[in-house]
Amino acid sequence: MNTKISWDPYRPDLAHNPYPTYKRLREESPLYYNQEYDFYALSRYADVEHGLRDRENMSSAYGDILEFVKAKSRMPDAVFIHQDPPVHSAYRSLMQRIITPKRMLGVEQEIRKLCARSLDPLIGADRFDFITNLGAEMPMRAISMLLGIPEEDQVAIRESVDSRMRTEAGKPIDLSKQQDLQTEALGSFEEYIKWREKNPSDDMMTELLQADFNDPKGGKRKLTRDEIVAIVNVVAGAGNETTNRLIGWMGKTLAEHPDQRRQIAENPGALVAPAIEELLRFEPPGPFMARYVTNDIEYYGQKIPAGSALLLLVSSANRDETRFVKGDSFDIHREVRPHMTFGNGIHVCIGAPLARLEGRVAMEELLKRFPEWEVDYDNAVLSSTSTVRGWDSLPVWVGSKPKNATVSAPKAAAPEAAPTGPVALEGKWNVVVKGPTGPQPAVLVLEKNGDSFGGAQTGDGATSQIIDFKYDGKNISWANQITKPMKLKVEFKGEISGNTISGKAKAGFMGSYPFTATKA
Amino acid sequence: MKIVYIEHNGKEHVVDATVGKSVMQTALDHAVPGILGDCGGACSCGTCHCYVDAAWESRLPPKTEDEELMLEGTLHTEANSRLSCQIQVTPEIDGLMMRLPSSQVL
Repeated sequence: MNTKISWDPYRPDLAHNPYPTYKRLREESPLYYNQEYDFYALSRYADVEHGLRDRENMSSAYGDILEFVKAKSRMPDAVFIHQDPPVHSAYRSLMQRIITPKRMLGVEQEIRKLCARSLDPLIGADRFDFITNLGAEMPMRAISMLLGIPEEDQVAIRESVDSRMRTEAGKPIDLSKQQDLQTEALGSFEEYIKWREKNPSDDMMTELLQADFNDPKGGKRKLTRDEIVAIVNVVAGAGNETTNRLIGWMGKTLAEHPDQRRQIAENPGALVAPAIEELLRFEPPGPFMARYVTNDIEYYGQKIPAGSALLLLVSSANRDETRFVKGDSFDIHREVRPHMTFGNGIHVCIGAPLARLEGRVAMEELLKRFPEWEVDYDNAVLSSTSTVRGWDSLPVWVGSKPKNATVSAPKAAAPEAAPTGPVALEGKWNVVVKGPTGPQPAVLVLEKNGDSFGGAQTGDGATSQIIDFKYDGKNISWANQITKPMKLKVEFKGEISGNTISGKAKAGFMGSYPFTATKA
Repeated sequence: MKIVYIEHNGKEHVVDATVGKSVMQTALDHAVPGILGDCGGACSCGTCHCYVDAAWESRLPPKTEDEELMLEGTLHTEANSRLSCQIQVTPEIDGLMMRLPSSQVL
């Protein structure tokens, strides 16, 4: 057992239970260096807290994701998660006045309605999926509501794009035409902003449009459209993905602690709020935060040279036994102490009040309707990356699980080769990702190499080889590396039906968005 | 140097304070329940909200514009609300008494 400890955020064998490894890191290697990927890691509570607050030696100029920090990626100023003071402070303080606990409390009833809308149709069913049926729906709708995008407009924009895609389907669409389509769709977001300018309401968009911005370059001015789009993307992307994961962990953790679940259901007024804090501590959706080290610093007698990438393991800090008694136990009755799930310091999650509210209301509304459930692990899918860790799918049996139940839900990505699907995969596919600012078109060209497939994807004027291709006759997945608007790995996961693939495209911290691909 | 924190349920914590630290950090250092201080003292989260005891209100330095704006968006505020990260421990505030709200979060 005395082998030297080795850890990196990409290890699939640690996805399900990384905690024993974190414990070893805290004990044996509180400052850890990984040679293969060339990064440092701090895992003890006090060090993570110190690191997150250390403005003198830590920079967020290259973001808070390991790959971004290593690539020294830069972003527009308005992407304030990716900036240091004074640029960060200027945008942050403006947003701080818009995303306030008071505003969040004002929309509690609306969020309750959104939960009811997702959960009511499931009453009477044998099973449902915490992600598909709640996590992927409610947070997205909540942020749209806060931004003031009227639902009929969301639908109208999507339908107009869909109908255009339908008429184009079956014949090749050249990229330039796709670019026009994209420009037009981005235009409709611009249209929305323009419309909101003339029709002010009490939503966040109106405030963004009207707010006086203290430009760090000097003077007071209004935000530009580009700045508003960037801010909305960050807020929506960061909030959807993580709250979705929180809801998945709620489903898993409460199922594994039925006694505590019963106590919460019996006394939600007193126990839901501490249960959410404990859940946030116990299973943080974002387990790591990265920083760029700006000066030579020292921890435990070991130097971290300027220019290094440093990972702060909040999910390890949250289990630190010197801070949380029996840190590896889930205990809703523990004394509430600050945890590191929302980070700490000037970049602390600005959406924390909303996340806590959504978590609390979701737990209350869930337990009202479904006091008990059991996870169908055979069909649950967990993913862990350097940014988020959580369930892509978490199907549960409601009430008692039928004996010898046969399962009809899709199997978790079975990596079988030898495609047998109805449509020949090789050839050209027109891909459209429905991002928050409108459809992002791309062209995927697949080639058969023996029993497997390879190919390339072209979007936004750049082409890259696809990787991680998998197909089992029904489920299909692949990934590609995009460079615009930033360096990002986009993971596509979908199902083939006829000549169409539909599913989700996951673009790192920007979140997951629906996509379709149609055989040209 | 002492600071007194009174939880919403009436439980009192009398803790030793060090000059130069903030009233928020002092509470965290002594694990006083009910103060979170998520942003680490940057006046950016509103989770170190306290009510200043009447006897102390006029003896503290006034709020900055940033603190005022932050408090505008914070829940359960009263005229004597302060963000404890914005109050530094000085010899003049020895014995300061702060009452904590029922919750720092929604």
